[in-house]
Amino acid sequence: MNPEKALPSYLDQSDAVRERFERLKERPKILEVKGLDKVFETPKGETVALKDIHFDTHRREFLCVVGPSGCGKSTLIRILAGLDAQTGGEVLLEGKPVRGPGKDRGMVFQGYTLFPWLSVKRNVMFGLTVNGMGFQEAERQALQWLALIGLEKFADAYPHQLSGGMKQRVAIARALANQPRILLMDEPFGALDAQTRARMQAHLLEIWRKIDITIVFITHDLDEAIYLADRVLVLKAHPGEVQELIEVPVPHPRKMEQFISDEFLATKARLEELIYAHEEKEEGESEEEYDYPDMPRLVEVDDSVD
Amino acid sequence: MSRTNWFSVQTELSSQAKTVLGVFSFILPILVWSIVSYVPVVWHPLVQITDPGSVSYLQVDMRMPRGPFEDAVAEAQAEGQAPPEGFPANPVYLPAPHEVAEALYTAFVTPPPSKDMPWLHQSLWHSIQVIFWGFFLSSAIGVPLGVLCGAYAPISRLTEPFVEFFRYLPAPAFGALAVAILGIYDGPKIAIIFIGTFFQQVLIIANTTRKLDGALAEAALTLGAGNLQLLTRVVVPGVLPDLYRDLRILLGWAWTYLIVAELIGTTSGITWFITQQARYQHFENVYAAIIIIGIIGLGTDLVLGMLARRFFPWDRNGK
Amino acid sequence: MALGLAMSAIMLAAPARAEAPLKIGYSDWPGWVAWQVAIDKGWLKEAGVAADFQWFDYVASMDAFAAGKLDAVSVTNGDALVMGGSGTKSIMILVNDYSNGNDMIIAKPGIKSLAELKGKKIGVEMGFVDHLLLLNGLEKADMTESDVELVNVATNNTPQVLASGDVDAVGAWQPSSGQAMKLVPGARPIYTSADEPGLIYDTLTVTPTSLANRRDEYVKLIKVWDKVVKYINDPETQPDALKIMSARVGLTPAQYKPLLNGTKLLTLEESSKFLEKGDGFSSLYGSSQISDDFNVKYKVYADPQDVDSYIDPSLEADALK
Repeated sequence: MNPEKALPSYLDQSDAVRERFERLKERPKILEVKGLDKVFETPKGETVALKDIHFDTHRREFLCVVGPSGCGKSTLIRILAGLDAQTGGEVLLEGKPVRGPGKDRGMVFQGYTLFPWLSVKRNVMFGLTVNGMGFQEAERQALQWLALIGLEKFADAYPHQLSGGMKQRVAIARALANQPRILLMDEPFGALDAQTRARMQAHLLEIWRKIDITIVFITHDLDEAIYLADRVLVLKAHPGEVQELIEVPVPHPRKMEQFISDEFLATKARLEELIYAHEEKEEGESEEEYDYPDMPRLVEVDDSVD
Repeated sequence: MSRTNWFSVQTELSSQAKTVLGVFSFILPILVWSIVSYVPVVWHPLVQITDPGSVSYLQVDMRMPRGPFEDAVAEAQAEGQAPPEGFPANPVYLPAPHEVAEALYTAFVTPPPSKDMPWLHQSLWHSIQVIFWGFFLSSAIGVPLGVLCGAYAPISRLTEPFVEFFRYLPAPAFGALAVAILGIYDGPKIAIIFIGTFFQQVLIIANTTRKLDGALAEAALTLGAGNLQLLTRVVVPGVLPDLYRDLRILLGWAWTYLIVAELIGTTSGITWFITQQARYQHFENVYAAIIIIGIIGLGTDLVLGMLARRFFPWDRNGK
Repeated sequence: MALGLAMSAIMLAAPARAEAPLKIGYSDWPGWVAWQVAIDKGWLKEAGVAADFQWFDYVASMDAFAAGKLDAVSVTNGDALVMGGSGTKSIMILVNDYSNGNDMIIAKPGIKSLAELKGKKIGVEMGFVDHLLLLNGLEKADMTESDVELVNVATNNTPQVLASGDVDAVGAWQPSSGQAMKLVPGARPIYTSADEPGLIYDTLTVTPTSLANRRDEYVKLIKVWDKVVKYINDPETQPDALKIMSARVGLTPAQYKPLLNGTKLLTLEESSKFLEKGDGFSSLYGSSQISDDFNVKYKVYADPQDVDSYIDPSLEADALK
């Protein structure tokens, strides 16, 4: 890190980036979230998980949601998916309110959720066949999706024969096969090692460029958020509220080299400021007061290097 | 041979080592049994009489404790009469391996003494049918009910408290009632197997179903699966390998109810054979029958295990 | 769902219609195993009796009879009363035999008479026939139940219990009584049913309904019984009979012979004498009355039974004509 060097403001956008955002905002709104509240009843009383959340996403936009732990990111995406119900406000998908899960919103989970008893191909066909498509047509389409993610060779393999990254690629293909209006991703690469994760990010951008899909992507990895997103929605915790919706000034097409660009670093600095400043306010005092207990030294160490 | 430490916790063994150890798990008990049976200094608390001598109450082949036998010998000798003779023996309850092996062989090759009595293999087949029908009927109702209980909380609450209560009631206690309702032939026997299996089955299957990863169901919902599809296309296939494993264990339990079942109504089957032979103290036949049951049980389980690997190639805890 | 199971099984085992063969339960007692001779020799068919003998465990046969699944069952006169006391009315139409030594009080070595059991422990299945045998013996030895200590032991377990040394004597019938003596060398019977013939009669007992509907067939069956007893008693044919009977229970003929000796099988002529009314053990009526008193006293059932109504001597009489 080099604190001497002055970074530009994250708000500064090059002309190309500004034009791109203008075009993006002219596109129709796919998802509108209005005044969303979520209150959990617990034995200790009510916990406010989400409070008055507002945001929109436009068609073919890539929106990342970041925030400290406990900010309700996962709750938010589960409400968008229809797996949980909000206690207030509404979610509109192309103007229609969302009630319960549906095939118009695909979802990729953090854990591996491929059906272990189905082959890779049958996993991708699952959504198609439960929605009434014939077997042969579903199979044809599934193979196309597998080709898109580069796993057609594994069509007849079972999920347990795949690596973690491959599993998540199949999960993406399975969600996309239904041709949803929006793809919801809940920290989908969180369980992968760093190298695989980087490959998966590139891969996801590649898929996103090829097809007409809007993505809402939850992550706690700020680099990942900046690298992938058009805009980053920053939440704060207790209660979960929107802090800022940041337009990422890093130009497209995105490349790994941009990780050290000024725009990238400025955005990251801003995100860190928003997230960690808040976290420190909450946890900082306790950390200073915490005394480490005296550990009895169990091992004789002669060459003390520490 | 590479050195492997067999005794590090939860280490996988090579398949060769598994086979060898598996064979030894049978050889060791047989070895112990042989030692106890054939080495006279080991146990042998009794004396089997070969010649009663002058002792009036002794008969050839009678077994008596060593102490009283020695007293009888001393007494006879003191009186100058012929002492009884005999050799060390084990109680009649523990026949030697070769006696059991012989009984095992004769049991299958000896025709039944009376024409309306079954061959041993017919008794066995009869028992297997009783087990099959009891277990089949139980599973035909218990498995779907268990899955529904595991999948839907209202069904679970409506069913499981009573089932939980009922499973503590000893199945044999319903013997007389079963005869009154179902007659004297196989009906009540099947009913006992059913009662002994069914209630455990519902609870175990329900618990297995509940253990299904909830994320799979959520994934299916986001893919547009309806409620019924969730049950038929996610819950059922998802729990199938575990369910199959449960059934294998439950089938073993069903055998334990057979001995009670076959005492009800008209007598039949392999465990009746055991009861009858034990009553007349033919323990070599008893052990032979026990071994047959063991072989059938183990054999069935091995076959079911092999089938499981065919049925559920994706299942990795299936071994 | 249990109902569905019940329904299907009921259809499998439909209750006997009038034309169906008589369903008769029999179990492991020499006097009843004797029927096997008639079965194997085909004498039932010969005599025009459609009878389907079903082999049971003794208690299970009483359960099946009580459940209304049998037309007739082989039980002791005492147990016929016991079933009646709990609501299953039945009628004894044939006396097969009386126990002539198969029921025994067996004492461990050194004890040679009932008198020596004073103050000692005796294992016996309370409320069953050998409890009665014991009381009968104690009475003869001028003792009562309070002079000894009774331990309730299932008859099947008496051999092991005697061998354990925890009791000084047990009461049991064959084969348990024989097993007990085999297991405890030197143990011997100090009192047996041979000392009080008629204490325990073994009978063919039928339901009142089947008696009303199928009386003629029962008379024919009783005639077959006479043939069976004569075949078993005839020294020439006895080996064949022993072979058939021992096979039924899985013994060799030689092993079975002593069991047969402890049972006095009754020809019709002999049997009918015990069907004359009288007091004491020499009449089925008197013996059953003593059983009834015993059962009421030991609360096997609450109300005394009308013994006369349990016995119909007319069938044997007709068979003799």
